[in-house]
Amino acid sequence: MPRETKHYRNVNENPCNMCMPMGGILPFKGIEDAMVIIHGSQGCSTYMRRHIAEHYNEPIDVGSSSLNEKGTIYGGSQNLFQALDNIRKVYKPRLIGILTSCLAETIGEDVEGIARDYLKQRGLDDFPLVAVSTPGYGGTHSEGYWLAVKKTVVALARPTEKHDGINVIVPNLSPADIREIKRILELMDIKYTLLPDISETLDRPIARPYTKIPPGGTKVEAIRRMPGAAATIQFGITVEENVSPGRYLQSQFGVPLYNLPVPMGVEATDMFVGLLAGLAGGSVPKTLELERGRLLDCMVDSHKYNAQGRGAVFGDPELVYAVVRTCAENGLYPAVVATGSGNTGLEDLLEPVLADCPGEVRFHNETDFAQIRTTCRETGVNIAIGHSDGKYLTEKEGIPLARMGFPIHDRVGGQRLLSVGYTGTTMFLDRITNTLLEYKHKNYRAAMYRKFYRNTGIEERGHTSLMGQAFGSEECPQLIPVLRGELR
Amino acid sequence: MAINEKMIEEILNKYPAKVKRNRKKHIVIRDSARENQEIEANTRTIPGIVTNRGCAFAGCKGVVLGPLKDMVHIVHGPIGCAYYSWLTRRNKAKTDDPKKNFLAYCVSTDMQESDIVFGGEKKLARMIDEVVEIFKPNAITISATCPVGLIGDDIQAVAKAARAKHGLNITAYSCEGYKGVSQSAGHHIANNGLMENIVGEGDWEEPPSKYTINILGEYNIGGDSWEVERVLNEIGYEVQVVMTGNGSYEKLKNAHVAQLNLVQCHRSINYIADMLEKKYGTPWLKVNFIGIRATIESLRNMALYFGDEALIKRTEEVIEKELAEIEPQLEPYKKICSGKTAFCFVGGSRGHHYQGLYEELGITTVLAGYEFAHRDDYEGRDVLPHIKSDADSKNIPDLHVTPDERRYRLKIPVERMEELQKKIPLSNYKGMIKDMMDGSIVVDDLNHYETEEFIRILKPDIFSSGIKDKYIPQKMGIPTKQLHNYDYSGPYAGFRGAINFARDVAMGFATPTWNFIVPPWKDKPLLEGSIEQCSDDTCVEEVGA
Ligand code: SF4
Ligand code: SF4
Repeated sequence: MPRETKHYRNVNENPCNMCMPMGGILPFKGIEDAMVIIHGSQGCSTYMRRHIAEHYNEPIDVGSSSLNEKGTIYGGSQNLFQALDNIRKVYKPRLIGILTSCLAETIGEDVEGIARDYLKQRGLDDFPLVAVSTPGYGGTHSEGYWLAVKKTVVALARPTEKHDGINVIVPNLSPADIREIKRILELMDIKYTLLPDISETLDRPIARPYTKIPPGGTKVEAIRRMPGAAATIQFGITVEENVSPGRYLQSQFGVPLYNLPVPMGVEATDMFVGLLAGLAGGSVPKTLELERGRLLDCMVDSHKYNAQGRGAVFGDPELVYAVVRTCAENGLYPAVVATGSGNTGLEDLLEPVLADCPGEVRFHNETDFAQIRTTCRETGVNIAIGHSDGKYLTEKEGIPLARMGFPIHDRVGGQRLLSVGYTGTTMFLDRITNTLLEYKHKNYRAAMYRKFYRNTGIEERGHTSLMGQAFGSEECPQLIPVLRGELR
Repeated sequence: MAINEKMIEEILNKYPAKVKRNRKKHIVIRDSARENQEIEANTRTIPGIVTNRGCAFAGCKGVVLGPLKDMVHIVHGPIGCAYYSWLTRRNKAKTDDPKKNFLAYCVSTDMQESDIVFGGEKKLARMIDEVVEIFKPNAITISATCPVGLIGDDIQAVAKAARAKHGLNITAYSCEGYKGVSQSAGHHIANNGLMENIVGEGDWEEPPSKYTINILGEYNIGGDSWEVERVLNEIGYEVQVVMTGNGSYEKLKNAHVAQLNLVQCHRSINYIADMLEKKYGTPWLKVNFIGIRATIESLRNMALYFGDEALIKRTEEVIEKELAEIEPQLEPYKKICSGKTAFCFVGGSRGHHYQGLYEELGITTVLAGYEFAHRDDYEGRDVLPHIKSDADSKNIPDLHVTPDERRYRLKIPVERMEELQKKIPLSNYKGMIKDMMDGSIVVDDLNHYETEEFIRILKPDIFSSGIKDKYIPQKMGIPTKQLHNYDYSGPYAGFRGAINFARDVAMGFATPTWNFIVPPWKDKPLLEGSIEQCSDDTCVEEVGA
């Protein structure tokens, strides 16, 4: 597998990632009765709420300390105190996460210190206030996510009696994915604490009466008891050590850590299911075996189409790893593997997975879509897999996009996309195959033209996409032939 | 249900005492018996209140600058702010030259920790060079996000140097998010910048046609301005530039030649309207192209301003033709909508604009408000001399313009201006409150908690707002209509837009979905009769029936 890595420009043109506090909000939405505040000026929190709401189609309440010019000079602790008071009064949360924005960090706010002072002044010794320093310029939303999970564990975990439950720590997956992971755990009769659990909170059924904080999420009590667990399974093989919650539980409390890839694809799901069987000393239930069989049936049916795919996979490192691996299992190899994150481990982790890849694979870290687009062109990519911002590749290059991950803001149902476990993988692969098939049918005529009519004098006409007009792209280079029938 | 002071007290009682006192001043029950009903607005947001307001950067880059299509808008700062303001407003644009439309691009310096420590000016300067080379735009703007001002990057100096180097209109906007109290501060900063650096840069001295106008405060969401322009063109107007939906540097630089400026969104653009009047002698007319009646009134007022018989006649002809087209289409929707009630809480002007259209459909607005408006948007411009400026508003200095010696022309004689002002909103805006029904509620900077409480009390049939708040009512079983980006629909402006709006709103009421929310077993017993009474086969039949 020949590889190649990034080049560098000053311009970030059409980013492939968001900022750190954005990622930090999500885990707090998966803790029962929790609220979260961003310490900084209010624009950041409004923007982030807007984007999260658009992906999940849910109300996303996030407080802000609404710092203004005065706060930038004298410090913002008074504003943060007020924000905490108001949030407590109106929402009655049982845990509050505090994240920082660029503003708070640039003026040097010690948010952990302010949080301690607050608790002392208000006489709230036991109230869980989890302060996380997340400067927007300090990392992407992926890092923000993991740091917030880790800080939550650090803040709550206390030495506890040993128990036979296991900890399951998940990356930013869809609520449907989390529900599937829970279903597998329950099928295997495992007692578990899953953190963070957005399965109900960010995909909330219509139900009356409406409550300000959606029901569901990991219980604070359960998080406190994580150090007593028999083991931790963390779906985070790309997670760097310093932000790894599982590693923290291992080093501080001796909880054995199984750091696995997201259970997507045959092997990774086998690993998860096999580990659970081992931990519980039980066997794998028939249901799961049937599901595994169906997945393989799907893969046998689809491999002939999927093998024609040349993929560009982009997004959060953890998901990128899982998608590349899953696709490779079915013979769909990537040409471009990209993440906006500075996480550099991906390339080495994927080396064994891509050992048999026949073509060249290009890796981009800290990248933007301008770069991804160029590489897609150079390598002949014909399917993009990742979040909505990849639509740019469709608009400019005609490459179809199979949407996956976060954020999905131009389609509905991002919260319901199921991609993990045997069943989820089956659904994921079907989406990929169908995207390829649709593309193939759409371009059938173009391909036929090239094969039979080139140099015959029958003209092939460029197709001007409507998108191209509305957004002023250069002409879409994907050509659709018009057989004019007028032979010259 | 009618609301009274006591109910509002009850809602506010949930707040700490200080917050309660503050919020109380932002809520008014309309009472036309009282001459001037005052409301507090444009004051600091209460921390932790879960406001819907954004920041100055959002108002500057996101709202006013962003839609200008032939310019590249660079965001100087860490990546988040740029990402979040990327194509999120559905301001549409078309260009003749497809290479001169940059709206699909999000361009940022993506500041890293080292830039925060050592400063980002050099990176910004290098980036401008790259942008000029890659995109070849007609002009460039640079918008600052929070950290920029704090670390002392002098973006104005960088812009100036780049302007000299590239011979291109490159301007900087110090719209750091912490300035002011909401996006409103950013509108002001953008208005000042555009007026200072772009409007009037062009070399036209005379208007290109007899009735040349600019449309201000129209952002072409969902194609609104295209629908308005269609009608205006038909009447015989020439639109020089729209500020800023589908607008361009090329057109904006000659905006000074217009004989009249129309103001749709007063909040975001009134500064430019005012400055154009002072500098070039061009009055502005408050228009509203949302709603059929409001559109007709606006068109008639325009014709009256020009005072030309042929134009007045042509205006009536076009109105008649348009009405003939849409009125039959509207009827079925009216039947569905009639008798319903609505909440209308939007940015800084739509909270007012949409009430008329709702009314035409038979829907009564029972609560309305703005996210970031000022008192004049509620109470009318007469209140302007009475608004105390505070530390936050002083942050954004007014740009003082003086009459342009060469180009200032009184467009109409002073006496006629005075006479017209008695009849039409010429260089004036009367605000939202006066148009509201007695007993309805006006709320400034409505938040999630209050939204929920007001819904419980007033049980509106439809809730119109933005994307962040629309999911609360929906979860409560109430239809919503997103009025920031129209839920990917539109246009809603003008005559044909009204039909789109009526269709979308009626669809919200008429969808059978709402009927299924309560499961049948919670509502009534699934099967009538009891098990003992039926034999095996009748039971089967009943289940199947
Ligand atoms: S408040 Fe500041 S940091 Fe936040 S989005 Fe606005 S400009 Fe960016
Ligand atoms: S990059 Fe920084 S300033 Fe911008 S939205 Fe993110 S936290 Fe806020």
